[in-house]
Amino acid sequence: MSSGGVRGRTGPVAWAGVAAALGLSVVAAGLAGPANRAVAKPPASMEFCKIYPTAHVCAASPVVNCTTCHTVPPARNLFGEQVSANLAPGAARPLSDADFVAALPAALKAVESLDADGDGIPNLAELIAGSQPELASSRPTSASCTPGQARSAAAGRWNTCGYDPAHAYRKVTLDVCGRSPTRAETEAFRQLLPSESAWRGALANRLDQCLRTPYWLGVNGVLWNLANAKINPVDSIKAGPRAGSIPLADYEWDYNLFAWLNTGDRDVRGLLTGQDFVKRTSDSPPTFEPVPEDGMRALRQAGQTVPRDKRAGMITTRWFTTVNTMFTPIPRTTAAAAYRQYLGLDLARMQGLHPAVSEPADYDAKGVAAPACAVCHSTLDPLTYPFTRYDGIIRNNYNPNRLKNFVRTDGPRVVEAPEAGEIFGQKVANLMEWSQVAANSDAFAQKVVWDYWKLMIGREPGPADQAEFTLMWKGLKAQDKFNYRTERMLHALVLTEAYGRP
Amino acid sequence: MRIPAPIALALTAILSLSALALPPTAARAQEAAPASPDPRVKFKDGERYLRDLAESLEIPRKEICLELSRYDCADKAFRIVLGGVDPYEIRIMQPLDQASLASPIAFDRVALQVCSNRVARDKADPATAVLFKPAAGRPDAAWREALTDRLYDRILRRGADAAERQRMAGFLEGLEARTGRSPKGQADQTLLACFALASSAEAAFY
Repeated sequence: MSSGGVRGRTGPVAWAGVAAALGLSVVAAGLAGPANRAVAKPPASMEFCKIYPTAHVCAASPVVNCTTCHTVPPARNLFGEQVSANLAPGAARPLSDADFVAALPAALKAVESLDADGDGIPNLAELIAGSQPELASSRPTSASCTPGQARSAAAGRWNTCGYDPAHAYRKVTLDVCGRSPTRAETEAFRQLLPSESAWRGALANRLDQCLRTPYWLGVNGVLWNLANAKINPVDSIKAGPRAGSIPLADYEWDYNLFAWLNTGDRDVRGLLTGQDFVKRTSDSPPTFEPVPEDGMRALRQAGQTVPRDKRAGMITTRWFTTVNTMFTPIPRTTAAAAYRQYLGLDLARMQGLHPAVSEPADYDAKGVAAPACAVCHSTLDPLTYPFTRYDGIIRNNYNPNRLKNFVRTDGPRVVEAPEAGEIFGQKVANLMEWSQVAANSDAFAQKVVWDYWKLMIGREPGPADQAEFTLMWKGLKAQDKFNYRTERMLHALVLTEAYGRP
Repeated sequence: MRIPAPIALALTAILSLSALALPPTAARAQEAAPASPDPRVKFKDGERYLRDLAESLEIPRKEICLELSRYDCADKAFRIVLGGVDPYEIRIMQPLDQASLASPIAFDRVALQVCSNRVARDKADPATAVLFKPAAGRPDAAWREALTDRLYDRILRRGADAAERQRMAGFLEGLEARTGRSPKGQADQTLLACFALASSAEAAFY
């Protein structure tokens, strides 16, 4: 390598300057033109999980982060360099998305047995186990005990080598009831340990009792706070009780709907497809009931003005459209928020990219067709079109002719934006179809379980949790298991080793 | 220089707690289990912590810990650093993933305030005392044993094992050398022993 000679002649300081200059040149070249530049490929994040569905990173989400192959896109990490070297060797760069997707399986296959970070563990083993193939300090971990440890643990106060029912009982009481079990309760539960059916019954009863407490279901309770990041409450524009200085909408109804759909024998897909508008009739004990359609008008700013057959759960409420759509004709923020909050896919992190053909069309003349923008907007814009007929601030209604109001501010082509769009590469005629596709997707089930997993277990699913996490979200979808009932899923979640092992 | 009483008490606590310092496995009772290869302990958070102590120490939840005699420790004063959220005003939607630098300081402060509160109530109304019950004569092993039972039962909701009893007895004897044997000294010992357990990892995590 000739650079050694450069360093030898000019010294380390000058070398640093040369390296910096070279680095800047590479970056500049990458920005300036296509020749030999490193290119990040958005479809890779979805394709990877199609090729390796059992990889740890694919257990919690159908996409991988860009950092699987890149440091900061488009710069590659060690693993990405190996993949790149085996990706359609000899073919002209940059590859089209179609050529890239076609060549990716073979390239990944070619590097499975290589060891990018030189830690002695092949790339594939690291991908499956959840450690990082490009980082030598990241290695698969084992949570198993030796037989001797297991015997010792089983005899101890806490069984650190396996599921410990007494530990799970204490956790359920704290997590869901908001208090520790009393000493008498703990001792009574321990009496049941010789009989698995007895302790399982007692644990299930405790969970059922706690799921009806104000601590779990009440205002500012656990479920309420689980919805914070989805509802994004702002007091200054709150309407209804304790209204802010500019009352526009009342987020309390959104919290009610969230809690209602996450309790009892209700289908959690209603978060995206539901049409009910739910009132909290009491907070102690917490009780809810749907508001009759003829009672909606009396609610004024707090109510739901979108016709029932045009409602899509949490993503067409007055609050959601007020804080996200506001006055925007093509409300990309609204679609991105729904995608992130209910499907766990953050377009800002290049997750869930499914570029649509001939997009972005840039109907509102925002310049999103520029190459640097089109990377995400070819997914985001068709994802957004179904939201374009829903008014934001003030009106909060479905209006098929809504875009006519924006010609003066957003140009004459804005009215050409279709109501039909695309989600996960699937064409949809309107938001009703959009929400059905979204609610039935793996991404939705994974996001629902992910939220509860983080809440109950206290951290994101790790490499050792992959099998149990997958069981939970697949079970949520299965009719003969949880059938989209989150409380049924919770009953299974508290029996996982991830939850019950100290 | 005269050190204010609360600071002196806290300094005494810090000095004395070193006597109670335990090896990593010692807090476990009965038979030692191996350390969990993948521990998943969670912070109880300020609200659950105070609910537990309010129930155990028989102090109304709204009175158990008030900063400046006004601001609830978990709901107002230390809400975020003790694992709470405030989505409406400061826009913290979920508990902090990592404890802040102030979290252990706030936690210790809450534990000390709760124990002070209980001991003050016990002194004011001995007939309904929960933790502090003065010895009939000189505080002896039996008094320390009974106090240990009350503390473990009330704060950790379990009995103490033999090793824990022994350590607590040694801790209380060490305190006695500093606080004296008077009823006031016994109250201080009770307060500091309460603080030792209420600020333990077992009380804070689950």
